[in-house]
Amino acid sequence: MGYARGILILMSINIVGVCGIIILTGYTGLFSLGHAGFMSIGAYVSAILTKYFGIPFLISMIIGGLIASLSSLIVGYPTLRGKLKGDYFAIAMMGFAESIRLLFSNIYPYFNGALGLSGIPLKMNLTTSLIICIIVVFFTYRYLHSQHGKLSISIREQEVAAELIGVNVTKEKLKSLLISAFLCGISGGMMAFYYTYMTPNTFSAELSNNMLAAVVFGGMGSISGPVIATIILTALPEVLRAVARWRLVIYGLLMIVVMLFRPEGLLGNKEISLYPLIQRLKKGKRVESVIAKEGK
Amino acid sequence: MNIFLQQLATGLSIGSVYALLAVGYALIYSIFDFTNFAFGALMMIGTYAAFYSISLVNIPLLGAIIIAMLITAIASILVELLAYRPMRAKKASRLYLMITAMGVNIFIQNLAIQTIGGSVKAFPSDWAKQVVDFGIVKMPRSDILAAVISLTMLVILWHFLYKSRLGLGIRASAYDTRTAGLMGLNVNLISLTVFAISGFTAGLSGVFFGMKYAVYPAMGGISNKAFIAAVIGGLGSLPGAVIGGIVLGLIETMVSAYISTTFRDLFSYATLVLILLFLPNGLLGKSVQDKL
Repeated sequence: MGYARGILILMSINIVGVCGIIILTGYTGLFSLGHAGFMSIGAYVSAILTKYFGIPFLISMIIGGLIASLSSLIVGYPTLRGKLKGDYFAIAMMGFAESIRLLFSNIYPYFNGALGLSGIPLKMNLTTSLIICIIVVFFTYRYLHSQHGKLSISIREQEVAAELIGVNVTKEKLKSLLISAFLCGISGGMMAFYYTYMTPNTFSAELSNNMLAAVVFGGMGSISGPVIATIILTALPEVLRAVARWRLVIYGLLMIVVMLFRPEGLLGNKEISLYPLIQRLKKGKRVESVIAKEGK
Repeated sequence: MNIFLQQLATGLSIGSVYALLAVGYALIYSIFDFTNFAFGALMMIGTYAAFYSISLVNIPLLGAIIIAMLITAIASILVELLAYRPMRAKKASRLYLMITAMGVNIFIQNLAIQTIGGSVKAFPSDWAKQVVDFGIVKMPRSDILAAVISLTMLVILWHFLYKSRLGLGIRASAYDTRTAGLMGLNVNLISLTVFAISGFTAGLSGVFFGMKYAVYPAMGGISNKAFIAAVIGGLGSLPGAVIGGIVLGLIETMVSAYISTTFRDLFSYATLVLILLFLPNGLLGKSVQDKL
């Protein structure tokens, strides 16, 4: 039972991070490879605040998220303004994650450098992480189904036209980046309080790639798609222990295949819903009543 | 003064390898408007090709370098044919192209880790390790080889691009791919040539990095420096890539020598951010505006 509990907590942690990537890549179309850096910042800040300064973990996680958000401006502001292409942002994000890892590996007071921070209080149990996860998913859903979401979609689809209509493209992109960095920071904080030990290398490119893979497989423009994909991708390595070491090879291959044959992913830009099922049942009833009438 | 000259020499040598790498990347970017994220993986393929030809088959260093270049070029062409060309044919958006490229990178890198093993190996060439004393400056043979061959390759590339017909076609494609195709250029042949050239540079640089540092499957990460160098010089400009590479090499070496070795990469990254803040088109780039 403890094993399944652990998997569920891990799923919640991953879903919180993936929600950030959904907003950034799925809806706004910005390709980022460095979000593990934001998770790292969130994790270290919240862990240090709680461990050394005794701040309650919820508040320190939020502060961690805010600081991750602010640091995203270092990358975001130079690369998202003007007419710079998305490649600049992607390259800068890759460098950012690497730089954060390097920086944290070499700060020894409080951060404990490359040795890693241990002795973090264990605050993540199933209830806490599920509640945080549900709040975040609900927030993402409301955010993306509001005007903000529509503006983001317009930028993803046709940036030039969006600007012509009057969308402030830079502002919207920065908004998406700030929120996604915040959510990844929270996710990092959750990781810190669950694993109770971490090093700068915990937040590797593999983590960023996993989140990206979840959004690509789940469908860009959908929320439930990537969430389902995250659940599957978190559970799969446990189920397929035998081939676990080929996991990343398969992810890479699968990304290429998905892009070639079904770029919209599992759910495209639809959400999972019972509506089609209900419609079909209703149609069945209508057909039955018509046949009944004709039969008479 | 001696230390400064020594650092200058090392900086120029590593800078020329970065320049080569950056040119390979910039070539593809200028023609396809697309960042080949799989570039690092190709570089790694080149290094391992040379590594195994020397250690398993005992081919001399120069032969190993040529083999590395050929194998990487073939790998590059395969990636283009299997992954990128179908995506371009579907008129996929930039985001999808970038994700595909990243997928190729993840696939090749992790395939290497799983099949060859993630351990770090030393490059098996004693000839390359010997240090040559020029009096004021000492350089290991690998650095000299890297500088000489990189600069030679860049000169050959320049001649090819500016003095041959295929080179003219490539430059025309870089300016406007669609019109070049309309003018009768065989865009498929040009794309294969460009990916092959990019593969040559990746393989060559891979061998030099392997000689200078070490051989390990994750070494594709060094290609990030190539991207940064290309951005510093101006994305899409080939002379810019060369200058960016040399500038980055010099900055890195000077920072390592005079400020700190641990934070060397941090300074490279800070250079990138500063350039993006103040000179977003790089040193030589053209202003990148979408023409309506």
